[in-house]
Amino acid sequence: MFPKKSPKVTIDYTKCGEKGQMDPRDCAKCLRVCDPAIFILHESPNMPIDPVDPKYWRITPVWLSLCNMCMKCVKACPLGAITVSR
Amino acid sequence: MCDWCMKHGAGGKWYMNAKNYSNELAEAMNAQEYLREQWKAFEMVYIRRIMGITSIDLGYKLQLPIIGRILRWSAERMIHSEGKHRNPVRADGHFGQVIPLEEAKVILGNLAAEPIIENYCMCRWMQRGIKEACCINFGLLSGVIEKLPRFIPKDTKYRLDRDEAIARIEEHNKKGYVATVWFQPVPYINAICSCENPECGGLRLRNDFGLHTVYKGEYVAEVDPDRCQACGTCVTKCQFGALRLVHSLKRVIVDINKCFGCGVCRHACKYDAINLVPRENYPALRGVY
Repeated sequence: MFPKKSPKVTIDYTKCGEKGQMDPRDCAKCLRVCDPAIFILHESPNMPIDPVDPKYWRITPVWLSLCNMCMKCVKACPLGAITVSR
Repeated sequence: MCDWCMKHGAGGKWYMNAKNYSNELAEAMNAQEYLREQWKAFEMVYIRRIMGITSIDLGYKLQLPIIGRILRWSAERMIHSEGKHRNPVRADGHFGQVIPLEEAKVILGNLAAEPIIENYCMCRWMQRGIKEACCINFGLLSGVIEKLPRFIPKDTKYRLDRDEAIARIEEHNKKGYVATVWFQPVPYINAICSCENPECGGLRLRNDFGLHTVYKGEYVAEVDPDRCQACGTCVTKCQFGALRLVHSLKRVIVDINKCFGCGVCRHACKYDAINLVPRENYPALRGVY
């Protein structure tokens, strides 16, 4: 009756993102290593929004149903911020 | 011909109707305001809550019983909205169609309103973190994007004249990118993109979730069996998996149900064996976009 649950992909925003050590725009390794492109780079919703040139960015895994759990993003992340689980 | 041609095509294809490109139409619709709101935070379109629901794990949500159906119905209604109170931050009324290179050239050469600019592709930026200048925008949208520095190419000329724009679209198309023309919002047309699957936000929703953000083109590819030499080069160009090399037949076959009619495969063919034929020629495809 209910569809199959998608894999859980989480990013630790204390490591990557507006409060982390790295600006995701400079790294973007997970975005590029993912064949089905499930991640999305966007401005941080909980920071003051700059409508012209946003300064604070983070990455959110959005298309979770397309994740194959290949773990390439986990290996690619230099901060070890990504976890993938069922 | 699709519903949108009936409504906005003036007897032809919707994107060949000069009225849909005019500044007067844009002003009458107050498109400037819509576009400014839409573009200043476009990356948030899948993140923000729309009626309490985000696009996160949309594939699962769409498959839910009952809720999934309601979600699909309301998403389609939003994408194709022609209402008065369209919400720019969820891109109401923003959808497009695949077009072959010839028609893209006609649009850029004659129909598109000036100024024409080429900016960084929004979709490649948000889905891959890559800045690639390949989106050609025109009319009011050019002025809106020019004020957003993250989309403006540095150190290169981004304001194009008509001939430069045609040369650029040809370059992208030969590379294998699919030309698409966009309502933003319907019926105002102001962009020709060169899309790539799966990075394109529109093609993602269409191919992976079956939402009609991008319509198939008015044509489908046809392989001339006498000319085809079974080299298979065209197969590598198809972004939709519609071409297949069949060794036993010694030719390439087309899955017309998957073909979007972009014509990109033709650039790869050394033997001039692929042609685009109107979708209407196939009774089974009539009205299927």
